[in-house]
Amino acid sequence: MKNEPVDVLIVGAGASGAAIAWSLLETRMRILCLEQGPHLADKDFPSRDDDYELSRYGKFSCDPNVRGLKQDYPINADDSCIMPVNFNAVGGSTINFLGHWPRMKPSDFKTKTLDGVADDWPVDYATLSPFYDMNDQTTGVSGLACNPAYPKYSPPLPPIPIGKLGQTLAKGFNEMGWHWWPSDVSILSEDYDGRQKCVNAGTCDLGCAAGAKGGTNFTYWPMLENAGVELRTECRVREIMVDQDTGMATGVIYHGPDGQVHEQKAELVIVACNGVGTPRLLLNSKSKMFPDGLANRSGMVGKNLMFHPLTGVTGVFDEPMKGHEGPMACSILSQEFYETDATRGFVRGYGLHSGRSTTPMTYALGGFGIDSPIPWGDEHRDVMDNVYPYIAGLTVVAEDLPEEHNCVTLDPNLSDSDGIPAPKITYRLGENSRKILKHGEERAKEILLAAGAKKILSKGNDIVWWRAGWHQMGTCRMGDDPNGSVVNGWGRSHDVKNLFIVDGSIFVTAGAVNPTSTIQALALYVGDSIKTNIETLFD
Amino acid sequence: MWTDKQNQTLILILDELIPANEKAGVPAAGALGVADFFPAATPYAPDPVQSITGILKAVDDKIPDFAKLPRAEKIALLKDVETRHAADFATLVRLTYMGYYSRSDVRPMFGVGPHPVQPKGYDVARESNELMDSLTAPVRARGQVFRDV
Repeated sequence: MKNEPVDVLIVGAGASGAAIAWSLLETRMRILCLEQGPHLADKDFPSRDDDYELSRYGKFSCDPNVRGLKQDYPINADDSCIMPVNFNAVGGSTINFLGHWPRMKPSDFKTKTLDGVADDWPVDYATLSPFYDMNDQTTGVSGLACNPAYPKYSPPLPPIPIGKLGQTLAKGFNEMGWHWWPSDVSILSEDYDGRQKCVNAGTCDLGCAAGAKGGTNFTYWPMLENAGVELRTECRVREIMVDQDTGMATGVIYHGPDGQVHEQKAELVIVACNGVGTPRLLLNSKSKMFPDGLANRSGMVGKNLMFHPLTGVTGVFDEPMKGHEGPMACSILSQEFYETDATRGFVRGYGLHSGRSTTPMTYALGGFGIDSPIPWGDEHRDVMDNVYPYIAGLTVVAEDLPEEHNCVTLDPNLSDSDGIPAPKITYRLGENSRKILKHGEERAKEILLAAGAKKILSKGNDIVWWRAGWHQMGTCRMGDDPNGSVVNGWGRSHDVKNLFIVDGSIFVTAGAVNPTSTIQALALYVGDSIKTNIETLFD
Repeated sequence: MWTDKQNQTLILILDELIPANEKAGVPAAGALGVADFFPAATPYAPDPVQSITGILKAVDDKIPDFAKLPRAEKIALLKDVETRHAADFATLVRLTYMGYYSRSDVRPMFGVGPHPVQPKGYDVARESNELMDSLTAPVRARGQVFRDV
């Protein structure tokens, strides 16, 4: 089935697809977005149910292989120590992300120059800075200005409460003389732009039914739909079509909710499917002109997959920490060990995040993202009565380095419900990342003890968290060299002049911060570059 | 689905998986009725009834009258079954935790509200400017901690 052509076709209605659609609104081009998931209604969010925690292990799991919904594609992670997690709906993974909103730092864009590792980005912090600001305003970001870990900027809203847990840990950091700061979050500390402030429900991963969390289903999409951007849900793109004479993208083939295969023509195609979905789509878009996948003459599509490997340390305190009250992952963030220090034995660094604790069921089952239940029997009784209420923890978020052997490919045997090949992840933890995690674990113990912890709980067995693949980066990286990168410095494919990529796959390095604010700032920057270069866009 | 005897054994097993804290008024899992959760637990395990039936059979094969065993022997037997039937036992433990802690009458025993977390949430006061100033003062005093590029 054919549809009327559009000017701009965006694949994916998550963080980056929404942001670039917003940027391109003023061009008055006809914009269409195809999203494989549905538009969730209030009633679809489990946080309004009595047994809300159960959905974390079913239809609202962060793991698509656990959810197994029609809109989900399976992911083969048998050859990976980290499972990619996501959500497929309008809003994408901003539906179930935790709202952490740190920016990358100036040094993150210059790791080759500064530290001799990876590559420098073709853009820098100063260039992205106004787009970070613009995105913070639209999203509604809470935080405390003048963080000494960054060039000066001011979040539009005051910080969310750091709570007893955050205050306790802050004292530990102060005792050690180390940096910490209230977390920047895309969670409203005050009513903002018609949205209600956070009620401290503590289950951000189950979607925020109140709209206090900055999912694009609540931020960008209401504006976009009011402004006439067409959003077609439950439409899964199979491949991007290319004119075999001109080498230009002509549109896409997608599976619609009617069960039919559709063809959609477009002048400009923008891919916003995340660091796993985007290489999957390109690799599945093979043709005579692009036998190894679309826009893949460099061979870099799917390569250099980066996550943020995580581990955690927990302290047991004398008083209840009330860790289930307040935004789930966000209280305070230390970037004391973020920048390279050669004496530590590794390059780059990590952040220490004070995630709050979680609800009893999730704790008993091993913690968020971990499938390792606490013991049964008398030990169970002891842990739940004498440990669970009293815990505060620190999560080590390590910067991963790009390595070509860490990659996304197409699985030869596994496919989604439309028969489209599923992605296969091949990933092993790099030696540098391993050293970072070890260092972070030791420092976290020191802080917890300094904060007054009476006991430290740490796995200490070198295992990273399994369901920790929230941040999928690097698989279609930016660069000036067409032989070593997939897109140029403003997101345009080197090989296909009317094809753009705007999600985390274009990251050159990972930094050690949650990437969504950078993903959206980049998407706004790419949108701005499209507008700036509109006259010569396809040259 | 299960005989009366199996049901009785299941309740006793659950009471060992999550024992009571009688002093604090926290009930054991079997006494609370967690067994009722299992038949509806298909979203969380491929075939919960089959897994649990497998455990019940393994227990029955070892000792036909589990109820009469002293507590220490019950625990020893369950540990043995756990070793021999690891996957099914893991399913039983996991579903027991889910059935127990998903109950709104259980959460308050661990300091968590009984209510759905939306729309009510929790009252958490924002720190005063004075408190935040005082907490961050040492950090601000140190100055810049990022590299200039």
